[in-house]
Amino acid sequence: MASETQTSTTWFGSTEEVGRLRGRVFKWTCLGATVLTLFLMLVFLLYVANDALRPLSADPSWLATMGVTVVLPVVLLAGYYYRRDRSAGEVAYTALGLPIFVALVSGGLWLLFRHIVSPQEWFVLAASILVAGGLVTAHSRVRHDAAVERLVVTVVVPLLAVVGVPTVLPSLRDLLSLSPVLPNALFSLVIAFTLPIAAVVGWRVRAVRDADRDGAIAAGITVAGGLAGVVVGPVFGVHPTSWLVFASPIVGALVLYVEHVVRNDEGVSGLAFPIVVAAGIFVGLTAAQTLGFAGPDTWLDMQFLTSSTSTTPADAGIYPALVGSVLIMIVIVLSAFPVGIGAAVYLEEYARSQGRLGTVIELIQVNISNLAGVPSIVYGVLGLAIFINLIGMGRGTAVVAGFTVGLLILPIVIISTQEAIRAVPDSRRQASYAMGATKWQTVRNVVLPESLAGIFTGTILALGRAIGETAPLLMIGVSASVRVSPDSFLSRTGAMPRQILSWSTQITTEFRYGVLAAGVVTLLVVLLTMNAAAIVLRNRTQRTQ
Amino acid sequence: MASSHDADTAGITRRKSLAALGGMGALALAGCTSNDGGDGDDGNDGDDGGLGGDDGGDGGDGLSGEVIVTGSSTVYPVSIEMQERFMDENEDVSVTVDSTGSGGGFANNFCPGDSDINGASRPIKEEEIESCDGNDVEPVEFRIAGDALTVAVSPDNDWVDSMTFDELAQIWNGDDPAETWADVNEDWPDEEFDLYGPDDTSGTFDWFTENVVGEAGNHRSDYEPTEDDNTIVQGISNNEHSIGYFGFAYYQENEDDLKALNIAETSDDEPSAPSLEAASAGDYPMARPLFIYPSADSLSEKDQVYSFVEYYLENSNADWIADDVGYVPSNEEQVEENLSTLEEYA
Repeated sequence: MASETQTSTTWFGSTEEVGRLRGRVFKWTCLGATVLTLFLMLVFLLYVANDALRPLSADPSWLATMGVTVVLPVVLLAGYYYRRDRSAGEVAYTALGLPIFVALVSGGLWLLFRHIVSPQEWFVLAASILVAGGLVTAHSRVRHDAAVERLVVTVVVPLLAVVGVPTVLPSLRDLLSLSPVLPNALFSLVIAFTLPIAAVVGWRVRAVRDADRDGAIAAGITVAGGLAGVVVGPVFGVHPTSWLVFASPIVGALVLYVEHVVRNDEGVSGLAFPIVVAAGIFVGLTAAQTLGFAGPDTWLDMQFLTSSTSTTPADAGIYPALVGSVLIMIVIVLSAFPVGIGAAVYLEEYARSQGRLGTVIELIQVNISNLAGVPSIVYGVLGLAIFINLIGMGRGTAVVAGFTVGLLILPIVIISTQEAIRAVPDSRRQASYAMGATKWQTVRNVVLPESLAGIFTGTILALGRAIGETAPLLMIGVSASVRVSPDSFLSRTGAMPRQILSWSTQITTEFRYGVLAAGVVTLLVVLLTMNAAAIVLRNRTQRTQ
Repeated sequence: MASSHDADTAGITRRKSLAALGGMGALALAGCTSNDGGDGDDGNDGDDGGLGGDDGGDGGDGLSGEVIVTGSSTVYPVSIEMQERFMDENEDVSVTVDSTGSGGGFANNFCPGDSDINGASRPIKEEEIESCDGNDVEPVEFRIAGDALTVAVSPDNDWVDSMTFDELAQIWNGDDPAETWADVNEDWPDEEFDLYGPDDTSGTFDWFTENVVGEAGNHRSDYEPTEDDNTIVQGISNNEHSIGYFGFAYYQENEDDLKALNIAETSDDEPSAPSLEAASAGDYPMARPLFIYPSADSLSEKDQVYSFVEYYLENSNADWIADDVGYVPSNEEQVEENLSTLEEYA
């Protein structure tokens, strides 16, 4: 008793003032760290962007023209949104970012249509999938209750339609591609690319507005946007097929977004922002051209994006490496994502946490976390040992590169997917069970839909990490100088980070400063776009929850 | 209510879908072409030819296929020039060039049979021939250019202008290396060396070890080794007490940041400045040959490899090797000799 009193007096009875100095110092130190980080990032980005774009090499009058036509209106408009209409500001940035983002994704599709699946092959593939889908649906209508039979049909019919039985039975796709008459590239794309997009857009608008006419109009605008290329394309020197691949998704996405903004009637004035930006750039460039002002002599231009590397810095480009990186990304998406998400679903939903098995699961869990921290060069050695030396796959091919880098991000995919699944409130699962749903029904109808956005966010961020990896690519022999784009997943490929590395060792200084910087900016743009998409997705889910 | 609504929409949808189908059919008919593998007219590079079908393919009697080049980072600049010029003429051949170091290329790529051609900045070693032989790969030697290996110091270094092989060996040997400049010559400052050089997978390292330091494998190891010669250049130019060696091309590109030393084989000889002229005339003691080693099987079995090597050899006396790359081109005699060797593998 006495000792208790004693303690409390020494504790509370102290007449010393509570020092605030340490707290303040700590706060300012933290602030300093933050400022330093941001400052370093900014300096680095500006430095690289300056090397890549060289804005100061432009005629001062060119800079002035662009300042008046683009920067000034943008700043004024942004200021207006900031002071008067915050929600319009949000609309403005989304409306500007959306077409740019969709254009980058379409760029990836364009590369696919050009190098992997030609438009006609895509048409045939889409037709086969459509037929298979029709058969499966028809079967489930006719034989409603045959669950096992349906499972077999769902697996076998698409396989027969698309792959067939090698050397025994040609698939529907093979048969179709043998047909004497097929639509040409443009019409293949119209039918199998633009029309499906338009259908999705139209169906969506019809659903939210509950009006057939609006849906039809939305779909019509999308198709018209795609087909405009036949007339407008040649004027800008764009092939109609290329126009179609870019325009259809962009117009479709814009139609959806504009409809969304107009329907909610919030921040509609923000829609003017991208128009002002586009018009400003157009007017500025036209004015500069007519007045004869020379623009900046940038490294990062269309020529850089569309040509292959060269020993002359001015002719060097990143195109084959870009195609290679896209192929590698596709391999990763198709291989690492299903495996990773599957493992995460099992670990979160099915794996037992008690008993002997629980200990094993826990051990696995710890190891997955550890694997996420293993240096990338180790995965490179693993890829070299397993895929190339053991299995005998080709050195430096997109498949091996994708598998190796896929292994690298697999732990990250698993962990982020687990976190997304864990974020689904347990009450939802319990509610589903209370309705009499089975485990499978709960996972399929409650857990996966709820966590899907979170899963996407995590996997996109992991993919962003993957495309920048260089060390594993060196180990598996991705070549330093590749001048032809890979035409299949099995041919030797280049990759953006590998190409950047090989420029950094070139003798000529223009490579190490200009061309290298342009490559870095290209890689960063792809990466930041992916991260931005992930962040937008995360914000949306947080808002809906 | 619901059913009548359904019926309504169904009616409209049916009519509409018929119209839509008709429209699509008309479009499809209009867009039909005979299926002859596309009407592509585009080349290999990505500027806008649209998406009209496969690019290239196996059109006619032109060459196609892959040529895989690995090996020395010193030969790499020549190989990528050859690659670019060759591919401008042969659009369907895909030549890929990688820089793995002479030894690295032989050990990991060429001898296992994964590459068609290996570049080397020194002759192939006996054990490498044996290792290739174990995999039935026969390397064929072609000398394609010469290099003037350059020893450079910082421009701030005002005490040394020339060195002999003996002095270089004192600095770079592994048994009893000099630690300070004064250890080599008492007139030089008593400051420690800052050493930069290529790492031991490099042919440059092997050549320097064998010809300048003396016994092979006796190169000192406490220096900054790197595969990237630009790092050597940067290291030397930033440090007053540094010294390092690399290919002449890197000196030619960075003449303002470096001071190249004149080299004499013995103290009786007249020191000679590194230059392509001196190297080809035989006056510069550190001139060294550069090689490519195609595999005999690739030459006889793959037409595209044979053509590429033929192109490589025919152009190995071109002026651009000196002007653009910074190496000593082969002379006529060498080219003739190479081409006659090549014909044996046709």
